[in-house]
Amino acid sequence: MSQFNKLVPPPNFCQVEEGLFRSGQPTGINLSFLSELKLKAIVWLAVEEPNEALLGWVDDRDIKLYHLGLQEGGAPWDAITVESITDALEHIINPENFPILVCCAMGRHRTGTVIGCLRRLQGWNLSSTLEEYRRFTGSRRNRLENELRIEYFDTALVKLPAKEVRPSWLWLD
Amino acid sequence: MASVLATPVSVPVPATPVYDVPPLAQHRQFIVPPLSFQLVATGVYRSGYPLPINFPMLERLGLKTIIYLGDPTYLPENTAWCAAHHITLHHFLQPAVKEPFLHQNPDIIAAALHILLDRRNYPVLVHSNKGKHRAGVLVGCMRRVLQGWSLAATHAEYDRYAGEKGEADLEFIELFNPHLEYERAFSPPWLRGAEA
Repeated sequence: MSQFNKLVPPPNFCQVEEGLFRSGQPTGINLSFLSELKLKAIVWLAVEEPNEALLGWVDDRDIKLYHLGLQEGGAPWDAITVESITDALEHIINPENFPILVCCAMGRHRTGTVIGCLRRLQGWNLSSTLEEYRRFTGSRRNRLENELRIEYFDTALVKLPAKEVRPSWLWLD
Repeated sequence: MASVLATPVSVPVPATPVYDVPPLAQHRQFIVPPLSFQLVATGVYRSGYPLPINFPMLERLGLKTIIYLGDPTYLPENTAWCAAHHITLHHFLQPAVKEPFLHQNPDIIAAALHILLDRRNYPVLVHSNKGKHRAGVLVGCMRRVLQGWSLAATHAEYDRYAGEKGEADLEFIELFNPHLEYERAFSPPWLRGAEA
């Protein structure tokens, strides 16, 4: 059963919910793995463009690439803005985009902040949300600022899809 | 002589008990997942030991099966909760491998993988006590044997939960190569390499 070439998921790859995945920046070695996910869309959270291999692959498959985080303007290690978070969330709770991958350079801070805010929107308690966030970041810098973003995130800012088309895991009852 | 001690103050007893609502029920406004909770792949979740505070959250998942890899006893409130929600519990005795003279039992991991190979059991929650080592071994073996992940990626995921401990587990995940049989009609959507 294991006589096949091994698949290489991107760094910090993980499934978040049905139809939603997270990771660091995929490169050429990850494309056969990603192909099996049959992605419809990718949310890329960085000021800079993703690598050429990924851009070409996305283009060939008509995968929608949402490049968010451009308005940050500053250094790549600056915390993600609330505007980028809400934009990203509106894409990742829209089932028309499923399966969707949300990623940034390492899949730790920006991706983790967006997923943390998603958990708040789902109604998760804060410690469990931060436990998940820290699982990916370890004790690296930038943690507190992003954790404050998650703690004080105003979920009312997110425009929700109509009730009938919301993902079942959003749990907004 | 006057006492230097303050006069005892009598505290009025409220007519209704302060805790007329069970304290845990107040948390129902929150979704509280168990420790180390994560979706592993469609239909398969992993976590630490579920406690009553987590039951409302887990009920939303509509679990059909729980696989516990751990100690000889399972808490009676958890057993009762499983029964009330028609959840089939598979309780495997698996020692925590923290010493070099202990081994993972490959038969247990193979038996657990057989449960994961049948999506009629889904959704499944795999849990150990802290959701780090024992659950991590089963997930690691699932990544390798059922999904064909590279060893480095599998180890990276194991480490995300277990941290620095668990070298023996990493070796076990690499060398574990069981013979598994399953019905293709009920195999999970993420199973890879079935034709090879």
